[in-house]
Amino acid sequence: MNRQTVVLMMLVAGLLGGCASGDQDPRSGGLLGGISGLSSGAYENRVKEREARLQQLRATQSQLDAEKGQLEAQKSTAQAQLDKDQARVKAMQSEIAALDKKTKSLAAMEGTDKQAVADLQKRVSDLKGKMNRQASSLDDLEGSGLGDEDLDLRRTQLEKQRDALRKEYELLMKMQMELAQ
Amino acid sequence: MRIAVVLWIFAVMAALPFPAEAKAAPLEEIRRILLSEALEPPPPAVLESLEEAGLQAFLKQFDPYARYFPARDYQSPVSGREAWIGIGAELVERDGEIHLSVYRGGAADMAGIPDRSKLLEVDGRSVAGLGAQAVASLLRGEEDTVVRLVLTRPGGERLDVGIVREAFKPLDVEPVPPGDRQILRIREFVAGMTRPALQATIDFLARRGAAKDGPLIIDLRDAMGGDLYEAFDMAGMFLPAGTLLGTIQGRGEEVREVRTSSGEKYRMPLALIVGPDTASSAEIFAGALHQQGRATLVGRRTYGKCSSQTDARLSDGSVLRYTNRDVLLPGGGSCSGAGLVPDREVSDAELLDLARLVRVVDDILAGK
Repeated sequence: MNRQTVVLMMLVAGLLGGCASGDQDPRSGGLLGGISGLSSGAYENRVKEREARLQQLRATQSQLDAEKGQLEAQKSTAQAQLDKDQARVKAMQSEIAALDKKTKSLAAMEGTDKQAVADLQKRVSDLKGKMNRQASSLDDLEGSGLGDEDLDLRRTQLEKQRDALRKEYELLMKMQMELAQ
Repeated sequence: MRIAVVLWIFAVMAALPFPAEAKAAPLEEIRRILLSEALEPPPPAVLESLEEAGLQAFLKQFDPYARYFPARDYQSPVSGREAWIGIGAELVERDGEIHLSVYRGGAADMAGIPDRSKLLEVDGRSVAGLGAQAVASLLRGEEDTVVRLVLTRPGGERLDVGIVREAFKPLDVEPVPPGDRQILRIREFVAGMTRPALQATIDFLARRGAAKDGPLIIDLRDAMGGDLYEAFDMAGMFLPAGTLLGTIQGRGEEVREVRTSSGEKYRMPLALIVGPDTASSAEIFAGALHQQGRATLVGRRTYGKCSSQTDARLSDGSVLRYTNRDVLLPGGGSCSGAGLVPDREVSDAELLDLARLVRVVDDILAGK
């Protein structure tokens, strides 16, 4: 055999050896592995596999985008609820301030029951303090480090407390009107 | 003994007018109030000897709960808590050891410190032999600064942790883990605030899947009191309308019965965990429910204070707190001096272990 024949035989043997390896991963086939993959169709399979993985990743990405959108929507609903709560508290603070003013003018009136007016003044002042506390608690909810569940719970507690304060306000308003008569 | 590891932000205080300079206490006003309104007034001749110096000691001699507050030191107990800067825990001193009562959502909780962990060191300094006050001052510091604690968890494992002190406002009623059970912690009874918070929390847990008829456990180990009427109103949430909750009597006043009003009622089995720090309004809440057969008490004997105090604002803005009424429980007795004795008493060590206490409650409710 001349030198050219030997080289050709070695190349053919090498190609056949590559085909027989059974390893379809072009990266692990040694020097001629890639070539063997090309010749067996495994490379196309690999491309398909990668495309499938890419599609999977795209699906996961769009799922994450959807979840992010949902979270942002939840956040903005929560913020809108908070804004509403803050507006309610502000309105109640104004109403209580007006009641406080009326109660003070009642104290200056002749012939009113001074002790009853003093008691009313104290209750109005307590109510004012509690409403201020509500306002600051609501402000604290923004950017609070509490977990979602605790935030929800705090908001629920504040809402119920506000209902109770509203009742107290209505009672004091009634008392004030009775004293004024 | 228990002490809050907090620095109050005096937002409310700042809004209150008070004199720029410290003034002498208005002694004449104090004499007049004590003489006419205190439950057990000092004899007039003794009152005449009242002086600015030693005023607190004088008051304590006749009324252990009496106290004089200069205007700048007073915060109304009915206003509730604003916010504080600290590690989000209170100190519980028991047999010379300091344990942490951890607030849900506070810095200590976020740092993974379990409730009732035993404190060993603060910033490298051992707390052995130190009282709660001294330890509290070691723990205090500016916002965003770090304090390093060495503790042992209730299971005995050692924990070395850095905590950033931060502003924190606790929940008015805290659900306590495990969250799927209705276990709630109440630390104080704030007028008009704690009852709606309790209602909101029970309803919140029900919405989150807690069994509506499942037992409700309220942990009162750290509840040292608050507003008397809030305690009655809260007891009324668990009893039919018209049920006797207790009686109140001031000096020379007629005995006043307090009964439950109508409104939303909860009918689930109820157990209250009490201990030596459970006092005043918390004892009245627990005592009313216990004596009406509505709640089971588990824990240790309570503090023993069934009297009510009032805060009188004096002409210079300072405040005199004094005992003005006795409160009797539905059975006709007072808890003052005696405390409430639980249905099932546990050891001091068991009192620190909530999981164990819950198992005791479960056994009792299961009839074991």
